[in-house]
Amino acid sequence: MLLPTFEFHEPLSIKDALKLKKSLGEDAKLLAGGTDLLVHLKKKLITTNNLISLSGIKALSLITKEKNAVIIGSCTTMTQLSSTPIIQKNFPALKAGCDNLGTHLIRNRATIGGNACNASPAGDTLPALLIYDALALLETSDKKREIPMADFFTGPGKSCIQPDEILTGFRLPIPGKNSGAHYIQLGKRKSSEINLVNVAAFLKYDPDTKKIIDARIALGSVAATPIRSPKAESTLMGQTPEEACFFAAGEMARREDCHPIDDFRGSARYRQAMVGVLTKRTLTRAYELARSACI
Amino acid sequence: MKKIIRLTINNQSHEIAVEPNLTLADMLRYQLALTGTKKGCDTGDCGACTVIMDGNAVNSCLVLAVQANGSVIETIEGLTTAEGLAPLQEAFVEKGAIQCGFCSPGMILSAKNLLDKNPNPSEQEIREGISGNLCRCTGYQKIFEAIESQSS
Ligand SMILES: Cc1cc2nc3c(=O)[nH]c(=O)nc-3n(C[C@H](O)[C@H](O)[C@H](O)COP(=O)(O)OP(=O)(O)OC[C@H]3O[C@@H](n4cnc5c(N)ncnc54)[C@H](O)[C@@H]3O)c2cc1C
Ligand code: FES
Ligand code: FES
Repeated sequence: MLLPTFEFHEPLSIKDALKLKKSLGEDAKLLAGGTDLLVHLKKKLITTNNLISLSGIKALSLITKEKNAVIIGSCTTMTQLSSTPIIQKNFPALKAGCDNLGTHLIRNRATIGGNACNASPAGDTLPALLIYDALALLETSDKKREIPMADFFTGPGKSCIQPDEILTGFRLPIPGKNSGAHYIQLGKRKSSEINLVNVAAFLKYDPDTKKIIDARIALGSVAATPIRSPKAESTLMGQTPEEACFFAAGEMARREDCHPIDDFRGSARYRQAMVGVLTKRTLTRAYELARSACI
Repeated sequence: MKKIIRLTINNQSHEIAVEPNLTLADMLRYQLALTGTKKGCDTGDCGACTVIMDGNAVNSCLVLAVQANGSVIETIEGLTTAEGLAPLQEAFVEKGAIQCGFCSPGMILSAKNLLDKNPNPSEQEIREGISGNLCRCTGYQKIFEAIESQSS
């Protein structure tokens, strides 16, 4: 399969990349790991005269700790995230998302920024970014802004990134004590499969009153974008964490919060049923992790 | 416009002029005649084009040659030494893990990368380690056995 002809630009700093993006205009495409972009170019789904590679910008592939947050550079790969202790310890649902994306060959190239910008409703790292309340860090040559991931996606393959903007990374607040999170993806086979349904859940409870004080659920592959599940979340608040309330949250997510479609991978009804099951399972596991963390 | 890239392939340094839209797989095959690297799908699905780039196995059909500038690449041709096939390659022959052979270069490089990082992988880790490489002939079991025989 032939790639179209294009000019290749390799800026070494974010500043230079932004300058190039501005001068080359909307036609120029940013290249991170290339696992989506090169496939789309080969299949002639998109075309461009200019590729701006981000690989030369060291700052974009760093994972750094701030006081109460971790900054993940947009060009960190799945392999890199999954093997970084600070991610393993604080963001297990994100690690699970990274471990489930594609194959090990893809994970060695695929970046988290590329996964977000590709904005697939089924993207494997996206539910985790939603439940950890991640902020997308966006930059143009003259301003910076931070957008909650809940407002980032605008449709299948679409995000709020402007043509002259670059996603430099994400800020993830470190979840406090007594919290846990988990991610499950369901596909027809284990490896390199586009998800039928993928769910992430985050739970925090008060060890004195034994009640849930924070709950976040994100659903993938069941709407035009990855979404939060607000009605299911609100059923959990103030409840005692146990099977009955996890089941009830699953039922609410299934009935009220998702809008799946039929396609060749599976029917809407099946997807909807699985939202209920996976929501309950992720919550159960998130609670187990929250409890074991405080023992 | 062609760009000059410098990279190390199988312990040899190369300086090559490449078009920006040339993939690493095509550069290896058509500019360097290293045709051990195969192309099945050209879209990241089959793993026939697997090479090891800076210590990580990747799909060379989804890497531009210009992106490999400055990197260290290992292809299947690099495994054989003056003494002959590498022990991992011998194991593939020995265990009947090769039939048509089209997947073998990629399969062996994925296995090598796995064993380099994790010399004693579990059954699950071996199966996951080759899950990006499709084989239409063997049914995978013999490939699994060949890799297992090389774990320490
Ligand atoms: C065989 C195969 C299997 C796959 N399996 C899965 C899977 O199981 N789950 C899954 O979620 N995905 C999967 N994918 C899709 C893909 O690997 C992921 O979406 C990956 O994270 C994309 O990252 P990338 O770095 O390769 O992005 P690229 O292809 O480099 O870029 C993707 C898009 O994002 C834009 N972009 C990238 N970085 C930035 C930035 N910093 N700022 C602004 N725009 C940017 C690019 O311009 C492009 O439009 C698979 C792909 C293949 C080929
Ligand atoms: S040819 Fe590269 S993965 Fe199939
Ligand atoms: S031996 Fe024929 S594809 Fe694997």
